Amino acid sequence: MELLSTRNLNFTYPNSSEQALTDINFTVHEGDFVVICGPSGSGKSTLIRLMKQELNLHGTRSGEIYYQETPLEEHNPITLAKDIGMVFQDPENQIVMSNVMDELLFGMENLGFSTNEMRKKTAEIVHYFGFNHLLQQDTSELSGGEKQQINLASVLLLDPKILILDEPTAQLDPIAAKDFMYLLKQLNDELGITIIIVEHRLNELFSLANQIVMLEQGRIKFSQNPRKALSLLAENMTTYLPEASQLYLTFTSSPEISDIPSNVKEAKHWLNGLDITSNQTQQEEQVKPEKPLLELKEIDFSYSKHTKPVLNNLSLTVQDSEWLAILGGNGTGKSTLLKIIAGLLTAQHGKIRYKGKKVKQMNRKFIGYLPQNPKLYFLHETLKDEYDALAEKHGKSETEVQTLVKEFQLEALIDRHPYDLSGGELQRAALVGILIGNPQILLLDEPTKGMDPAFKEEFASIIQTVKHTGVTIIMVTHDVEFAAKHVTRCSMLFQGEVIVTEDTNAFFKDNDYYTTMINRITKDSHVPAVVTVEEAKMSWQMKKVLPSSV
Amino acid sequence: MANEKGITVIGVAIFFLLLIFFPKFIIQHYLLISILFIIAILLPSIIRFSRKNMTSREMVMLAVLAAIAGVSRIPFAPLPSVQPTTFVIIASAIALGPQSGLVIGASAALISNMVLGQGPWTPWQMVCWGMAGFIAGLLAKTFFMKRMTWRLIYGFIIGFIFGWVMNMWILFSGFGDLTLETFILLNTQSFYFDLAHALSNVFFLFLFSTIWIKILNRFKEKYGMFQENRKE
Amino acid sequence: MLRGFRSFHPLVLLLYYIAVIAGLMLNQHPIFLTAAFLSIIFVNLILDKGIELNKWKYMIIFLDLFVFVFTPVFNQQGNIVLFELFSRAFYLEAVIQGAMIALTLSGILALFTTFNIVMTPDKFLYLFSKFFPKWALILMLALRFMPLFRKRLADIQDVQEMKGVSMKDGKLRDKAQNGMLFLQILLTYSLEEAMQTADSMSARGYGLQKRSQYKAYRWKSRDWSMLILLFFLSLSTLIGWQSNKTILTLTPELESILLQGYSWFYLLGWFLLISLPIWTEGKEVIKWNFYQREI
Repeated sequence: MELLSTRNLNFTYPNSSEQALTDINFTVHEGDFVVICGPSGSGKSTLIRLMKQELNLHGTRSGEIYYQETPLEEHNPITLAKDIGMVFQDPENQIVMSNVMDELLFGMENLGFSTNEMRKKTAEIVHYFGFNHLLQQDTSELSGGEKQQINLASVLLLDPKILILDEPTAQLDPIAAKDFMYLLKQLNDELGITIIIVEHRLNELFSLANQIVMLEQGRIKFSQNPRKALSLLAENMTTYLPEASQLYLTFTSSPEISDIPSNVKEAKHWLNGLDITSNQTQQEEQVKPEKPLLELKEIDFSYSKHTKPVLNNLSLTVQDSEWLAILGGNGTGKSTLLKIIAGLLTAQHGKIRYKGKKVKQMNRKFIGYLPQNPKLYFLHETLKDEYDALAEKHGKSETEVQTLVKEFQLEALIDRHPYDLSGGELQRAALVGILIGNPQILLLDEPTKGMDPAFKEEFASIIQTVKHTGVTIIMVTHDVEFAAKHVTRCSMLFQGEVIVTEDTNAFFKDNDYYTTMINRITKDSHVPAVVTVEEAKMSWQMKKVLPSSV
Repeated sequence: MANEKGITVIGVAIFFLLLIFFPKFIIQHYLLISILFIIAILLPSIIRFSRKNMTSREMVMLAVLAAIAGVSRIPFAPLPSVQPTTFVIIASAIALGPQSGLVIGASAALISNMVLGQGPWTPWQMVCWGMAGFIAGLLAKTFFMKRMTWRLIYGFIIGFIFGWVMNMWILFSGFGDLTLETFILLNTQSFYFDLAHALSNVFFLFLFSTIWIKILNRFKEKYGMFQENRKE
Repeated sequence: MLRGFRSFHPLVLLLYYIAVIAGLMLNQHPIFLTAAFLSIIFVNLILDKGIELNKWKYMIIFLDLFVFVFTPVFNQQGNIVLFELFSRAFYLEAVIQGAMIALTLSGILALFTTFNIVMTPDKFLYLFSKFFPKWALILMLALRFMPLFRKRLADIQDVQEMKGVSMKDGKLRDKAQNGMLFLQILLTYSLEEAMQTADSMSARGYGLQKRSQYKAYRWKSRDWSMLILLFFLSLSTLIGWQSNKTILTLTPELESILLQGYSWFYLLGWFLLISLPIWTEGKEVIKWNFYQREI
């Protein structure tokens, strides 16, 4: 049955000359699992917000949206509110109540459910999700993944027929993201709820979805089943593909649609038919002379006398001019470590050496800190005011600032309010501000959270330019693929201790679980193990295709 | 199951009937009666507010401002006598009008006490901050709040009145009769706190009120909120 | 504890607190007040072993001393002069009055500590939303924002401190100015973010129709009994006060502090009223003791 469809849908925001959406025609059937993808600004969010009438998007619309073959406007608003549920990107901002139980009840109270109905439905959902233990907690104490599950549950309590999700996992760590995706799969399979999800991490979704819609500049580029979508993406939008497919496409001159692997299993199967040797047998990199910039030795830290130590006997050496990634799960002390390096916290025990000299606490002057959310960085109304204030503080001349502004392509934006900038512009703007202070170390806190693939590449190149000016970069991250591609060394944090620090390649090759998709494909196989597609490109030599090739 | 609303109404009615039948209460506890009187003045405004159809964005904006007023004390904890809550309430009231000012002020008092612990001062604080917002909102369109000098004078006076009213709860538990002497005694004890409060109001209003009001107005326009206030 | 005093309907609890506060203000008699104060201390102990009260003890002691010392200085009414100091007479009546006010104050404060234990914010808001549903929702939203904003503020402070904008050093003026700048970032940022919160409310149907309220607290038969008990005990207190049996007359002539006749009856009623939590909590403690012994 046709559940939701749009016909010739156009939309323009007020005070905007360009159409946000043009001629959108697509149909969702009952039980579908639809993924909408596309670069930032392609109109994905606009499209799904139009499907949710209560959000009352301001602008001019033409064309129709049909729900159960009747235009949205002709439905009873209460039915629509119940039938079409929506989960947004940020887990934190969606929560309206301070306690989990109240949060679950919120939607039902809005729609006038009786106490008995509410009691019964809540009991069911709590059982289905298995979060009895969360029920009495404050919402502020939950992890990001738990928050997003509560948001989902609160929407599900209204018995939606369609669930629309706007990048629901963008702010979650990889493990929570995976759990959330499988939860959606479960809802789709077991309850038959139709799912429309906007996402740019397509990896897991290829195996879950049955329809993939690609948007570009407000138009539908294609709307196909995953297999077909895979081949269309293979033509010119490879960044959206899973690494497995990218590897295949790099080494296959005339790809077959049915052969493109989308996961580790399929890719391993494909590799079985190939004979590959390494062309860099003596791949040993010349050992760089060690030049430690910052040494932490046997650091202990806890927030109060009565709590467990967050960092425990931690030792870490940071080399001059390197890009070091600190990886590790939630609650392993990553951000605490960053704060100690930043000089915001003082360790209770242990030694810190900076450039060989012992210090009690790091001097904040030498350190630049790019927060996860660069909006928190700006104090003034325009970028210019901000930079002027900083230049005065650090005794920088105007020309020096202008050189930086030019280097980061911000000339055109200099008189804008920071909040009117896009995500990428904002990050560049904050970096210029930081560089005015001449830092020797730049700290990055989960910088790639919520970025689309194209933006990630752009960000990496910006950081590379910063690095080339001689700044040492320390980054805390969950993003294994990003670290593998760009970073010089990686450290693994576990239970408040650095358990290993190695060159990026060696680090990921040693790992079995905490590693890239490409490494999981090539590890322990007959082909030389590699970590990234780029590495494969450089070091693999295709001998010949074995006759048994599929 | 009993009708809870009915029981509630009956309970309150009994409470007030008792007040009427025991006139001695009114004579001896005129301070308590006077606060009930102030509440009675504010009640219509609150009822009108409760009937108003507000969008979720307007509700959330009021809640954000009340919460900011509530947490604003935290960064200033190391500076003991500096108290920014009143400033936040006055600035919000000027931008959003008397009803919103009243709700933000009273809510800020209530929620910060929910975190710190309620005491006999809670209702007084609610009335004080609620009134501070209400009056600032009423005067928002007049020269009183438009001219910086008067805004500063208002902030200064509010700082002291706030302190005086807050001291009243001690009186209302029976600390002698309200004579000039007891009044002065109570308030000299808190004079420096009140002065600091008044001065910090002036300081914050002088440096920040214009920009805060601008931020709030810009935001209001951007999302088309509180439109009816403009027509009034 | 599932049963105990805390398990009564919030409305009953609220009426209890109104009755006891009114009683504390009305029964201006040292014996009544002392009985009340001691009972309230005991209520504190039985509810949470006095942990909450402990936090407030310095304030209570300070206020008591303040009132106790200054009342006789200013209250110049009385017949019996105790001593003279700086050519000012100190009257016995005034000292007694100071003691009574101090007892009232500490009674009210100690009662509020039990209020904070018993009337948790959710019970309070439950009652509040009966009268002011919209306002109560704003309070709930604000209460949800508080911990979020506190965290954001800490992040802002960290980020700005790395830029050299801090509240830790410099003149008071600069510190205060920087602090307000932090709040300004919090304001601009949070308003923008909160629009998503508003969207999530609308998406769940807020504003389409009248909201219903989840009745987390059911009205039980024990609530009726408690309500009736409360009514009669408060009535007895009120009658006692109206007939001057629960008040110590200080002027024109100091009455004997000892209780006579009906006053004993009213004292009993007053004591029963305040100690309602003790009976209900105590019953549970005894029950559990028996239960454990049987096992």
